[in-house]
Amino acid sequence: MTASPTATPTVDLDPMVLFADPYPLYAQLRRDTPVAYVPAMGRLLVTRYEDVVTVSRDWETFSAREDTPGPEHKIIGETLMSFDGEEDHLRLRRMMDAPLKPRALREHWEPVFRANAAALLDDLAGRGEADLFADFATPLAAMNLASFLGFEGVSAQQLIDWCKGIIDAGGGYMLDDAGIWERGFAARDGVIAATDAAADRVRGNPDPSMISSIINSPEPMTPQQLYSNIMITIGGGLNEPRDVLLTAAYGLLTNPDQLAAVRAEPSLWKKTFEEACRWVSPIGMFIRQVARPVELGGVRLQPGDKITGVVASANRDERVYADPDVFDIHRKGPSHVAFGGGGPHFCIGAWAARASIGTIALPALFDRLPNLRLDPEREVPWGGFVFRGPLAMPVRWDA
Amino acid sequence: MPRIVYVLPDGTRREVDAAAGTSVMKNAVLNDVPGITAECGGSLMCATCHVYVDPADAGRFPPRADDEEEMLEVTEAEVRETSRLSCQLTVDDTLDGITVHVPEEDA
Repeated sequence: MTASPTATPTVDLDPMVLFADPYPLYAQLRRDTPVAYVPAMGRLLVTRYEDVVTVSRDWETFSAREDTPGPEHKIIGETLMSFDGEEDHLRLRRMMDAPLKPRALREHWEPVFRANAAALLDDLAGRGEADLFADFATPLAAMNLASFLGFEGVSAQQLIDWCKGIIDAGGGYMLDDAGIWERGFAARDGVIAATDAAADRVRGNPDPSMISSIINSPEPMTPQQLYSNIMITIGGGLNEPRDVLLTAAYGLLTNPDQLAAVRAEPSLWKKTFEEACRWVSPIGMFIRQVARPVELGGVRLQPGDKITGVVASANRDERVYADPDVFDIHRKGPSHVAFGGGGPHFCIGAWAARASIGTIALPALFDRLPNLRLDPEREVPWGGFVFRGPLAMPVRWDA
Repeated sequence: MPRIVYVLPDGTRREVDAAAGTSVMKNAVLNDVPGITAECGGSLMCATCHVYVDPADAGRFPPRADDEEEMLEVTEAEVRETSRLSCQLTVDDTLDGITVHVPEEDA
C-alpha cells in the first residue's frame, strides 16, 4: 500500500459479518466510501458498478499481475488469471477455451450435460425429498466439470474433494488450521495425477476436452502451467455452477409468480440464470494491482496499490438497478458483472455455465420433480463473500 | 486518422476519429458509444460487440473468420449478412468514413 491510508477512506470490516451477509455492508460502502482501504485485507475495496467496470476493463492501469502472490499461489502456482496482454494471457486462454465456446458446447457438451442431469434426477425422482445442494447441484457440477476437463474415471466425489482441498487452502480463510495445507497439497497431487492420465490418453489422439485442447496445441503449455490452469479451472468451475443453480432455484421457489412465468415461457430460463448471477454472484470479487497513477471514485491510487473489484456489490448498485436486493427475472438494466466487469478476464466458463445450468439443469430440475418446493420445516442457510451461495437446500416434491 | 460512423438504433450518428490499427469495438468503448458492451474486451468470447456494417461499406473489411462466425451464433440481436463482431474490424486510412449500425436489442 503506497497510497497513504490516511489520504484514503479506511474501513474495518469483520470477515465473519461479511460471511454471514455482505450485502448491507456493501450498500454502506457504495454510499459512503466507494473506494475504501480495508487494513485487514491490505486492499482497497471498489464497490460501485461504474468503478468495478473501469477496473475490470482497463488492464493496462489495473493489472492482473500482483508483486506478492496470494495464498492460492502456494497450492496452484501461476495461472492465466495472473497474466495480462495478448502474448502472455490470451495465448494461454486460447488453448483452454476451446471446449467452452458455444459451438463445442452445442455439438458435444450439451448432450453430455443433459445426460448427467437426467441421471441424477432419475435417481432422485422417487424419493420425494432431498438436499438440492448435496444431492443434485454439487454432483452435477462435478460431473460436468470432469467431462469437459477430460477426467475419465474420476468420480464426482473425488473431484468435489479436490476442489474443496484446493479452495480451502488457497482461499486464505482458515490458515490457522494445520490440516488445511496438508489436504490442499494432497488435492493438488490428485489433480496432477488425473491430468497426467488424461494427457497421456489424448496426446496425438484429440477429443473435445480442455486437456486435449491444451496438450495438442501447436505450442502447448509447460507441464506446470497445465497443472496450474487445470487447478484454477477446478477452483472456478465447480462451486460456481452449483451456486448459481441453487440461487436460481431458490429465487423461483420463493417467487411463485416468476416460476409460473418461466414455466409458461421457456425463453425466460436464460433471464432466470442471468438474474441469479446478478442477485447473488457466485464469485464476489476479483483482484488487481494498480500499474500507474490514476484516480478512481475520487481516490488517488498509486502504482502498487492492491485493489479488489467487488462484483457482488456492483451487481446490487442502486445507481444501476431498481430494487437491487429483489430477485426479478423480468428486470431491465445493463448486464450483470458476475462474469467480471468486462475485459480480458471475462469468465472463461460463462457459456458453459449458461448452457449447463440455464439451458439444461434448471428446466430439467423443475420438469422432473413435480411440485418442487422448499421444505417448510427447514431453513436454507447462506454463506460466503469471496464465494457465496446456499449451503444446503432441503426440498420436497410429489414423488 | 480514419473516421468511424456509428449509427444508433434511433438513427443518431456518432462520429469518432480512430487511430489506425485499432478496432471498431475499441473506439466504441473509448467513446462510450451505447450498445457496444464488449464484455470480453476482444477475446472473441462474448458476442456483445455485434454491429451491422452499412451495406454501402459491405466488402471493405476482410470476411469473417471461423471463430467470429461461431460467436455470431450466440448474439442477442438478429444476425444478418452484414453482421460482424466489431472487435474483429480493424480500421486504417483506407477505411475512412466506415459506417456501422448498432443493433437495437443490445442498446
